Amino acid sequence: MRSVAVYGGLAALAVFLYITVGAQKPPRTKADMIELGRQHKTAADLFQALKNEAKGGRRLEWAKMPDWSGVYTRRPVAGFAFDPDTPAGALPTAKLTPEYQAKMMKRIEDLKKGIEWDPISTCAPPGVPRWLTEPFLREFIVTPDQTWLINEMVNDIRRIYTDGRGHPPEEDRYPLYNGDSIGVWDGDKLLIHTNQLKAGIYQRAHPDYTDQVETVEIWRKEDDKTLGADVWVYDPPALVEPWFTHQTYQKLSDPDKNLRIRYWNCGENQNNTVVQTKEGATEFQQFTFVPSDKKQGGK
Amino acid sequence: MVRGFAVALFAVAVVAVAVPATAHHSGAMFDEKKTITVEGTVKEFQYTNPHSWLLVDVKNKDGSVTTWGFEAEGPTTLQRAGIRPSEFKVGTKITITGRPMKDGTPAATWEYAVRTSDGKKFNPREGFAVK
Repeated sequence: MRSVAVYGGLAALAVFLYITVGAQKPPRTKADMIELGRQHKTAADLFQALKNEAKGGRRLEWAKMPDWSGVYTRRPVAGFAFDPDTPAGALPTAKLTPEYQAKMMKRIEDLKKGIEWDPISTCAPPGVPRWLTEPFLREFIVTPDQTWLINEMVNDIRRIYTDGRGHPPEEDRYPLYNGDSIGVWDGDKLLIHTNQLKAGIYQRAHPDYTDQVETVEIWRKEDDKTLGADVWVYDPPALVEPWFTHQTYQKLSDPDKNLRIRYWNCGENQNNTVVQTKEGATEFQQFTFVPSDKKQGGK
Repeated sequence: MVRGFAVALFAVAVVAVAVPATAHHSGAMFDEKKTITVEGTVKEFQYTNPHSWLLVDVKNKDGSVTTWGFEAEGPTTLQRAGIRPSEFKVGTKITITGRPMKDGTPAATWEYAVRTSDGKKFNPREGFAVK
């Protein structure tokens, strides 16, 4: 009789474990994520599928907010590569259309000749998706209706609306550096869809993206010190398939509370002003510490 | 005093495409294959975004003075590297090493600096380390 009770208890436990643990899908691997991107023709389709998986998502409550507090920075990546998994010295991992592959190769060849111009040299913001790669301080402010993803560089804030609104109507969309982002919460994960973006580059020695680029992101606190983001980039003119990457941001130790994000005036120092030459190279305009009667070398 | 300008130029490894000192503009105007080391006194520390500039007066062999500019990261990155404005007050004697501009202008990236009074070394790139 006693053994029946024991076996019965074990069977009940097994059913409980199956329901609570076993029935959950195992975590997706990077290969799964790449395949997930391929299975959806557009970023909007992928976002909708993830939203369906989350049963529409949930609204956060002030009493149960994820703790994303602290000052973070992107985990260091050689050359600020868009894909942190890029092998040392290798080309970016994006699968590009022939036209955009040729453009990228020209950029890399020009760089070898000392010819390089970065669009942010004018103090323009990096824009999304490049925003993900910049190596400066970051803060993440979570509220029920909006989440702010902040990069200190040029006071750059992405606002993710999680109050149930959709994107603006298609006929009213225009290119924006950080686009228009809407999101939903799936447990502790923030799902984001961004469209209405402006053309740019993923980083130096990287490909261009067009103003048709759109992204889907899944942000999540991976441990006490790490925020991670799964990112799919869709850009049909430039990419033959969505470019999946995993980005990580590390919380910085700050026991003395010295880390502060300050206002970033990109144009405050004349010595940082550069101009683009006819050849497409970068040249300092005029240093304050070089007497004006002495031209800078090479001019 | 210029510590043998010609002597101090020596080759360093070419870094593929990573130019961490120049987050806002290309670093192609600096010569990645050379470094220069000079001794001088701090004339001004421009603690600014997106790059800071340490201006250093360097005495030439003929007695004239050339002001050199050394470019580094912006304030928060420098603070993370332990480089605060008070470390480089006007008149501080230092030895500083950087990658010089290709066109001969007296400017370079700031690779590292050593303060003469106490031998303390300052490397702006340490500000990108995650601790």
